[in-house]
Amino acid sequence: MPDLSTTWLGLSLKSPLVVAASPLSREPDAVARAVDAGAGAVVMHSLFEEQLTHDQMAAHRFIDATVDLDAETQGIRPGARAFTVGVEPYLRELERIKRRVDVPVLASLNGTTPGGWTRYAKRLEEAGANALELNLYEVGGPEGETGAAVEARQLAVVQAVVQAVKLPVTVKLTPFYAALTAFVRDLETAGARGVAVFNRFYQPDILLDTLDVDRQLVPSTPAELPLRLHALARLSATTTLSLACTGGVHSGLDAAKAILSGAHVVQLASVLLEHGPQHVAVLQGELAGWLDGKGYKSSAEARGVLDLRSAPDPHAWERLNYTRMLDGWRARDSWRRKS
Amino acid sequence: MTNPVRYRTLDANEAVADVAYRLSEVIAIYPITPASIMGEHADAWSADRRANLWGTVPEVVEMQSEGGAAGAVHGSLQAGALTTTFTASQGLLLMLPDLFKLAGELTSFCMHVAARTVATHALSIFGDHSDVMAARSTGMALLASGSAQEAQDLAAIGHAVTLRARVPVLHFFDGFRTSHEIMKVVPLEDDALRALVNPEALAAHRARALDPDRPVVRGTSQNPDAYFQSREAVEPFYARFPQVLDETMARFAELTGRRYRPFDYVGHTEAERVVVLMGSGAECAHELVEHLVSRGEKVGVLKVRLFRPFSTEHLLAALPASVRSLAVLDRTKEPGSSGEPLYQELTAALVEAIARGERASLPRIVNGRYGLASKDLTPAMLRAVFEELAVASPKHRFTVGIRDDVSGSSLPFDATFDIEPDDVSRALFFGLGADGTVSANKATIKIIGEEAALFAQGHFEYDSRKAGSTTISHLRFGPRPIRSTYRIARAQFIAIHDPEFLERRDVLAAAMPGATVLLNTSLPAEKVWDALPREVQVRLVEQRCRLFVIDGYGVAERAGLGRRINTVMQICFFSLAKVLPLDEAMKHVRRSIEETWGRRGPEVVERNVAALDAALGALRELPVPSTATAARTRRPAVPPEAPDFVQRVTRLLIEGRGDELPVSAFPPDGTWPSGTSKFEKRALALEIPIWQPDVCVQCNFCSMVCPHAAIQTKVFDPAQLARAPASFRSMPEAFEPALDGLQYAVQVAPEDCTGCGLCIEVCPAKDRLKPRRKALVPEPLADHREAQREAFAFFQTLESATIAAVPIDKRTAAFRLPLFEFSGACAGCGETPYLRLLTQLFGDHLIIANATGCSSIYGGNLPTTPYTTNAEGRGPAWSNSLFEDNAEFGLGMRLAVDVRAEHARTLLKGVAARLPAALVDALLSPGSGETWIAQQRRRVKELDALLSGDASPEAVALRDRSSALVPRSVWIVGGDGWAYDIGYGGLDHVLASHKNVNVLVLDTEVYSNTGGQQSKATPLGASAKFATAGKSVRKKDLGLLAMSYGHVYVAQVAMQARSAQTVEALLEAERHPGPSIVIAHSPCIAHGYDLVNAPLQQKRAIASGMWPLYRFDPKRVDRGEAPLVLDSGAETLDVSAYMETEARFRMVELRDPARYAHLVDAARDAARQRRALYEQLAQIHLPKEKSHA
Repeated sequence: MPDLSTTWLGLSLKSPLVVAASPLSREPDAVARAVDAGAGAVVMHSLFEEQLTHDQMAAHRFIDATVDLDAETQGIRPGARAFTVGVEPYLRELERIKRRVDVPVLASLNGTTPGGWTRYAKRLEEAGANALELNLYEVGGPEGETGAAVEARQLAVVQAVVQAVKLPVTVKLTPFYAALTAFVRDLETAGARGVAVFNRFYQPDILLDTLDVDRQLVPSTPAELPLRLHALARLSATTTLSLACTGGVHSGLDAAKAILSGAHVVQLASVLLEHGPQHVAVLQGELAGWLDGKGYKSSAEARGVLDLRSAPDPHAWERLNYTRMLDGWRARDSWRRKS
Repeated sequence: MTNPVRYRTLDANEAVADVAYRLSEVIAIYPITPASIMGEHADAWSADRRANLWGTVPEVVEMQSEGGAAGAVHGSLQAGALTTTFTASQGLLLMLPDLFKLAGELTSFCMHVAARTVATHALSIFGDHSDVMAARSTGMALLASGSAQEAQDLAAIGHAVTLRARVPVLHFFDGFRTSHEIMKVVPLEDDALRALVNPEALAAHRARALDPDRPVVRGTSQNPDAYFQSREAVEPFYARFPQVLDETMARFAELTGRRYRPFDYVGHTEAERVVVLMGSGAECAHELVEHLVSRGEKVGVLKVRLFRPFSTEHLLAALPASVRSLAVLDRTKEPGSSGEPLYQELTAALVEAIARGERASLPRIVNGRYGLASKDLTPAMLRAVFEELAVASPKHRFTVGIRDDVSGSSLPFDATFDIEPDDVSRALFFGLGADGTVSANKATIKIIGEEAALFAQGHFEYDSRKAGSTTISHLRFGPRPIRSTYRIARAQFIAIHDPEFLERRDVLAAAMPGATVLLNTSLPAEKVWDALPREVQVRLVEQRCRLFVIDGYGVAERAGLGRRINTVMQICFFSLAKVLPLDEAMKHVRRSIEETWGRRGPEVVERNVAALDAALGALRELPVPSTATAARTRRPAVPPEAPDFVQRVTRLLIEGRGDELPVSAFPPDGTWPSGTSKFEKRALALEIPIWQPDVCVQCNFCSMVCPHAAIQTKVFDPAQLARAPASFRSMPEAFEPALDGLQYAVQVAPEDCTGCGLCIEVCPAKDRLKPRRKALVPEPLADHREAQREAFAFFQTLESATIAAVPIDKRTAAFRLPLFEFSGACAGCGETPYLRLLTQLFGDHLIIANATGCSSIYGGNLPTTPYTTNAEGRGPAWSNSLFEDNAEFGLGMRLAVDVRAEHARTLLKGVAARLPAALVDALLSPGSGETWIAQQRRRVKELDALLSGDASPEAVALRDRSSALVPRSVWIVGGDGWAYDIGYGGLDHVLASHKNVNVLVLDTEVYSNTGGQQSKATPLGASAKFATAGKSVRKKDLGLLAMSYGHVYVAQVAMQARSAQTVEALLEAERHPGPSIVIAHSPCIAHGYDLVNAPLQQKRAIASGMWPLYRFDPKRVDRGEAPLVLDSGAETLDVSAYMETEARFRMVELRDPARYAHLVDAARDAARQRRALYEQLAQIHLPKEKSHA
């Protein structure tokens, strides 16, 4: 059995397989089963500041505003003190998961306001998170905002959070950066300790019958993995940050590919939602089996051996498909030497 | 050194609950206005694990009725726990049997009653002593208090004295006036309460508990040899009760400095004229007596604290011997008596005292009634009483506060008489129910009461509308304790929180000279003056008012608070009224926001604080010109074409001037004309739907979903269009081939629409080039009001095409005339569409028995009512009896209808020989459906014509009864609180009959009308009052219970999602010859989401299995089919996807995610098991029944 332990964000993990931020991490029982099955760490589902704001205002509108309406009804719902609309339920969940598992637990945060990011980051630190994953998910910024301005805003957030907490901070990115490696370098300067590639988006659809837009979320498929492998291979070659692969890993062999591309950890969500948290053990077996079969003594040994710097054919990472096909017509080096 | 007094600002409900909770171990309650709030406080404290004086958390249990609560109280007391309950009115009546038991068994028990009118010719939720007086023969001691402070103190004394004296205590205070009036109260600390309770008496109470270790038998059945004597054995306990009470009151005074006595006298020591009364009215009398005594008048007031057991000894000790005339004022009416109860008691006591030689002479004693159903009692009225006492032969058994031009009982009074001192600040606020005015004023009182060295009082008036209700807040602040237990008649500050009030009523009637007037209006400041009606301008000028305006809606909107203008208007009040320095007020309001909303989260606090800051910047003073300039006067409250009764009576009620109406204006038996809501044009909507014929697909979804019948659809002969105004739109009917050639129209009633948006939400038609444009487009009311009013008026005159030949379905049902329109229900109400549909299907031959609840309030609350008539003058006949008896009430109606029909048939058979045989046969043959009923009506008309020349007694009798040959449809309507809980026993019994009654359960899954308490219909996982943490028991399956009889037609429907099935179920229920029950999913504001999403939410409820649709028709058994048909398919959505979109479930998750997850699982299991059970039932085949007739 090869050694699967890894270091991620300065944390020692027994396995590179990590439970990703997903609905699964809402259930302490499921999280515990995943850890029992071998998961090396847990990332909680994201705390969305926007959701909190929405909930607070919804409660204000639909509960607080239905008081003193008429002579009979002083209030239609149990009073304001009956519950809290804030970060507390999330913190309690975090604490519950911390009590249940002995592996690092990361909190995941998606803020909308500069104050919100740091305020909630501190609360998460106090509640015992071992690290923070900042989820920079945003579908569209203000009209007319340039890419540079978006990146500057995001870097400022990361810097503010890093300064506000002592915890290691990793950043979950979208695939849509024009200059990914440069942005990651800036994140490193801002104090981030790692990045996770890539966040997934809701996949809106069109309903032809009713002329509506349909909101939906479909689970990931292995087809989404190559985009991640490509990014990992490039980042692994250019940054010392901890790298996490997230999205598209559905088997131990997928995990092996991510590790070979440079991932320190591989985050799992859809595959566990589909097969259950105990499925981590299956992936771990497949990964270990492959490493063993190839003679790797540890996953650390395999990490990055196919990244942009180390791959036997770096062009394979750098060219798009159609140029690779053209490559086929190009004379081989050996032929050139002969001529 | 003693600590300075630390006041709290509370109403009596909270002050009393706070004491009762700490002195109790078990609290069994049932919600009833105005007492519900005491139970709710207790429930909330128990949920927060607050301990009582002995360190345990009281067990608070909500029962299925007050009768149930009393039973639980009785049992708990028998088993040795300190027990209490809270109730009022009908609730107290339901407790009477147990109260007799409790008193007969000398049980130490104190209960609290927010005294409320008992329903007679009408229900009233307001305050008087008719309920308490109905309990006076139970043997309970009756203890009265008149303010929140007294209510708190006497509550404590009541709990303490009953332990020592063993006579149970009914402590009461006036509903609303005291129960809901906020004032500064010196709280009772735990130590004082503990010191008040006698430990030996407490131990003795516990020792009397039923206990198998030392068993006894209680509640025996006794024979003539024993009962009388043992009944008399209690007498010593009653004899010594007043003394024990006085001792307890003395002990209380030692602990708190506040001395009460069984009778408290205030006034001149040599008083010659004295009024005697109980409750809050005594406070007003106290205020007046001090005023009159300071002017040298020899007057006084005797406040009765202890009504029963009546203590002549304490009465004589309190009442000055100098008194020569005495007015005993009762806040109740006992028709036919020789005098009201307090008068009788007091007179008998004084006569007895004279007989025994304890008094030399009998003063002249007169009896008066006042204050029924919270009618104000003012110093002016009481002065009239004192003046009456001074005349040679004062009126006996008078009334005061009304003008009785029928029996001449009333004392005239000078309404302008006023004794309120100038150093008391008086402020009036006119607000809308949903705008937060009352909440903000409560916060203001708290700030001023607790932060300034001023006494404060807040009283709140409400109407009974659920949408667009008016609230009037009366706030007083002054340097001395405030005893003014009546509405403010002269105010230095008047705030009008919505400009519509200027059009509806005389809001400046109370403006004092120089008064400050604050108006919330969205108009630019420079346009405000010209927009004011002339009456308002004149009043502003005459009273030299200062006028301030603010666009409160704009400020709130910009702060992200929607139309909640509470904090905006609150800070404007502080800025203008100058009760506190503004910066100090600002600090306190901010802190109040943080305290109140802090737990909601920073966003809520920040937005409210932002609104606060913005408000001061937006406040403007408008100089009031020296003369009024407007030509326009206020719009008439009812249109000129309204009938005479509406003009004379209804109009004044709408204008808030009902107090001016004399007795003769009212029907003596509670019978009112129907169809008056159409005369009250409330214009509540900001935006109304405007129809776009070019996009419309003529589906009628809009008119089918409308809760207020404010958007209607019609097909008609296009020839009628010749008279159409330009604003009226129509198009050729294009949906139903059988209706080819007719014209189709969708029409909004612009001034009746509440702007809920449901019609637009369900509209499926979209402009294919601009999909955002539907066939209904929201547009500002202001831009369309006149044109659409004209179009609607024309629409109403259009004669509907005859469509009886087309089968009734969800579309054609919507073409039928609604005979339930423009009710006061909430915008987006999920109940009212069912009632509207019921009247569209059966309205012209419909009798409704309506259980008390939301549907009886929007269905029958004055000033105007929504059940109306068709062109022939026919329409639903409607009545409300009680909450608990509605099924029986409806059954009784059915019995009478059947008896009358049978009598008519018998008479017809008797004269058959003189009539055409075919006509008689047709008249006697059974039938149903609208076509048949129309034919039967024609036959009856023909019969009447044939009989018209026949003077024989049997012919005359038949003509008198012939209309009974037309079938009547009896529907028993009520909410889930009635059907699942308090009325279930009766409902069950009625279903167990073979009578042709139909039951419609408007299931909101919670007690909506009394404020959201859980019922047995509340679904698993939902939070509600008394289930704050989320209900863990499954919803009762009322339909399944009804199915178990086998002969009952049962359906479960959800109209906003599946109207076709609803229409089918209602028609089948009506056709079913025996009892039927239709359980209707009714979205409600209590569910906690924007009701514009109700159709979608209902679809989710169905798709998740939380609300299965089905019809159970016993007739199918005869056809060899399973009686149950499932109308909704297998679940396609997880229950969590339904639950997470309603606050009632979501707040469980926010409070405790783990518990929520557990409850979601349990709800899922429940839904699946129920589904599986139904699926199996839908497969069963039963042998046919033989005839057992």
